[in-house]
Amino acid sequence: MSGADSSGAAGSEADAGPGWDAVGLGGALDTLAGFRPKTGNMEAWNAAYVRVEDYLRAHRIHNRLHQSRLIQTVLERAARRHEANPALNPTQLAVEELELWMQRWFTSVLGATENSADRVAAQGRLAMLLCDGPQKWPYVFLDNRTQPTDFVTAMRTGAIDAGPDMSLSSMVPRPIDLGPIPEAAGETIERIEDWPIVRTLLLWLVFAGCLAVIFRMTR
Amino acid sequence: MRLFLTETMDQGRLNRRRFLFFTGIFGVTSIATWFMADLLWRNGLSMVEGIVLLLFVVLFAHVAVGFCTALVGFYVINRGGDSSRIVPPKPGAPLASTAIIMPVFNEDVSRVFEALRVIYRSVQETGELEHFDFFVLSDSNQPNQWIQEEVAWLELCKQVNGFGKIFYRKRRISINKKAGNVADFLRRWGRRYRYMVVLDADSIMTGRSLVQLVATMEKHPSIGILQTAPRIVNGTTLFARVQSFANRLYSPLFLAGLNYWQQHEGNYWGHNAVIRVQPFIDHCALPDLPGSEPFGGRILSHDFVEAALMRKAGWGVWLAGDIEGTFEEGPPTLIDSAKRDRRWCQGNMQHTWLLTARGFRPANRFHMLMGVMGYVSSPLWLFFLLVSTIHVFAQVTSPGKLGPRPEDYTSIFGYELEVPEAFTLFLLTMFLLFVPKVLSVIVAFNRGHADRFGGRRELVTSAVLETVLSALIAPISMAFNAKFVLTTLLGQGVSWVTQRRDADVDGTDWREAILTHGGQTCFGVVWGVSSFIISPGFFWWLSPVIAGLVLSIPISIFLSKASIGRGARELGLFMTPEEVAAPYELRRLEQNLAECYRHLAPIGPLRADYGLLQAVLDPYVNALHVALLRQRRQTEESREWFAQLRDRLLHDGPGNLTTKEKLALLMDADSMLELHRELWNSPAESLAEWWRLAMRQYNVLTAAPTTALYR
Repeated sequence: MSGADSSGAAGSEADAGPGWDAVGLGGALDTLAGFRPKTGNMEAWNAAYVRVEDYLRAHRIHNRLHQSRLIQTVLERAARRHEANPALNPTQLAVEELELWMQRWFTSVLGATENSADRVAAQGRLAMLLCDGPQKWPYVFLDNRTQPTDFVTAMRTGAIDAGPDMSLSSMVPRPIDLGPIPEAAGETIERIEDWPIVRTLLLWLVFAGCLAVIFRMTR
Repeated sequence: MRLFLTETMDQGRLNRRRFLFFTGIFGVTSIATWFMADLLWRNGLSMVEGIVLLLFVVLFAHVAVGFCTALVGFYVINRGGDSSRIVPPKPGAPLASTAIIMPVFNEDVSRVFEALRVIYRSVQETGELEHFDFFVLSDSNQPNQWIQEEVAWLELCKQVNGFGKIFYRKRRISINKKAGNVADFLRRWGRRYRYMVVLDADSIMTGRSLVQLVATMEKHPSIGILQTAPRIVNGTTLFARVQSFANRLYSPLFLAGLNYWQQHEGNYWGHNAVIRVQPFIDHCALPDLPGSEPFGGRILSHDFVEAALMRKAGWGVWLAGDIEGTFEEGPPTLIDSAKRDRRWCQGNMQHTWLLTARGFRPANRFHMLMGVMGYVSSPLWLFFLLVSTIHVFAQVTSPGKLGPRPEDYTSIFGYELEVPEAFTLFLLTMFLLFVPKVLSVIVAFNRGHADRFGGRRELVTSAVLETVLSALIAPISMAFNAKFVLTTLLGQGVSWVTQRRDADVDGTDWREAILTHGGQTCFGVVWGVSSFIISPGFFWWLSPVIAGLVLSIPISIFLSKASIGRGARELGLFMTPEEVAAPYELRRLEQNLAECYRHLAPIGPLRADYGLLQAVLDPYVNALHVALLRQRRQTEESREWFAQLRDRLLHDGPGNLTTKEKLALLMDADSMLELHRELWNSPAESLAEWWRLAMRQYNVLTAAPTTALYR
């Protein structure tokens, strides 16, 4: 499914006729045509494409246009790193690039934070979830140029409280005076529990006693 | 209607009420004992007969308690209600900060959060939401449940704008079960609230009832616990519908009777009750009992003990039977009911330790004794019947000793009636068992409530059928409870057969029924054949008990059928007021749940670990889960161990990890972040096939912009 999308995008370059320039789309095609990984095979880059696409969809980026732009940018950056070290896996490189981009973007949206990069990304995702970012602002994800004020405000105020502020109390069990008979029985039981053989013997004794009573009754 | 406070209730008057009630029990038991003793005594009292008589007195007294409670209830209701009972104040009475807490343990997440949604909305509609906070207190130890709860909580908060009002807390270490869960809440947040309302995972309460409860507590500062009488609702199977019908029809009598003699020394049933928090913190923390489980150790059935401790500290415990809008759900099948009884049995038997504890009020001791008897009476009945069989055997094998006279006439104070004495005793027992049912029907007619049960004819037919079914169920319950008591005393657990839950299966399947009730059937057959050989006459006396045991398999299957339950409903049988005119909250819950269950379930191979899948794979669920975890410092050793676990999870799949290992990973925030990163970074070929499938499928499942499994 995802593979079909990516091949469709690649196919559009070959199908484009000279008439396209006349309607002013040549620039966009140039941009698309400008990116072509110089290292690595098509299978590996297709896999990278699918993974980035999956990851964006997992982020609920369902806007295909925006999704395509993000994928292309990520793959371009990954391709540049791949040229420097072709032994690396394109999928890994692409997701790393996407993660790095997200961390930087979340840092810029959320403002100064003391959290580590991983934590910032998690914090940002949670804020996105709370403000329904992907649905309300479908073009804003990872866009550094335009960040609507209401989006930034929503992101910065998005926090969850799983519980109110704690107000600690001491709740200590008080012993119950069971009375002399249960107290003595309890002590006996606790003592018997320390002697498992005695316990087993007692149980068998009770069982044998029951049998004896039944025998006596039925005679 | 007058209302007596704990302090103003005239002690002399209360004593007179109790004297009347317990004298009634004593009187009825004495009459029955007289007949039984006379029956056994005529040829001298042997040891076996002595045992039979002793058991009979204990068991009959237990039956007499129920009879007298209903009789007193009938008297009270006929007088227009008790002049001394809790009546909620008028609307607009002042309220105070209240926490509505719902402890959960691996429950159906949709049911829990949809119920909470309905309660929240209902409170909101009263205009008093500001006084209430809601807590889901999770002790769930299944990864799926945990993650679903987190996601459902967040979704609910978003949908009802409940952030800061609805809270979720998952305990890292779940000690002391529900009592420990509630105690943990009280230690963290108890001081913030004056009251807490404890709900079960299957509870529903209307906003109006919650407001009434809190207003009543505010009006009466001496009350520590105010317990409502929840109605059993939402039953679809025949078993559940029969239970809810019986609960709805018979409970007014028993509630009125209970309130008559217990007054401010009532009981707490563990849910659908409001509790004054500070005295509960001060006095109701539970110590361990002597010895270890199952008989000793931590107290499992905490509610009765908490009521006793509250009373011991001088606070009132009232039953608010008049408050409407408080509901719970019952078990759908006979086997589910037995499973619940297995848990309660152990807890109630533990109360034996506390019967003579110093400082407890006699009323609380009586509650605990009745709780113990609720289970211990089963093996005693069984023993009584078996000893009676032995007694008949002894008479048959020694014909010289058998006097014909007791079978021919009844002797009362020297007057002889030409009715067999055993038959008289049988009639007396039946009278005690069935009169409360007849009185309940009369009360429903007198109050003009027959239409609320589907109509006069339907009400009577349902009551008759319920009586027949309860007579068939009684021996099965007796066999179950006898087994539970014995296994508890021997420190053993009971194993249950797992039902095959196919979509097509309607109720208990034959395999489960045969494996669960097979022993009871065999026992019934052997007992029936033996008693018939010993004495055909005696066999016919025993036949109602034998029939229940021998037919336990088909009875269990028949009662578990939702299709039969629906059929009965169409015929207007076993109707309750909540079915005839369902409260808005129940209708809303039903609609919401129907919508939830229509949603696509995860595909088979992913279902077992879907929660873990979401927590690792989904960027939002991962972020939410990590945000709810407390950050902990790790040692070098634990870091290494977690790294190994992560590696195994990603490369071998979750099927190769134990539940404990999965939970350990889920509890470690760093591991969860790392797993998310590693999963998305790793080339497909280095991941387990399970994760590759998960990544392919998850996009299909998350086509809609939602993170909740349902909704």
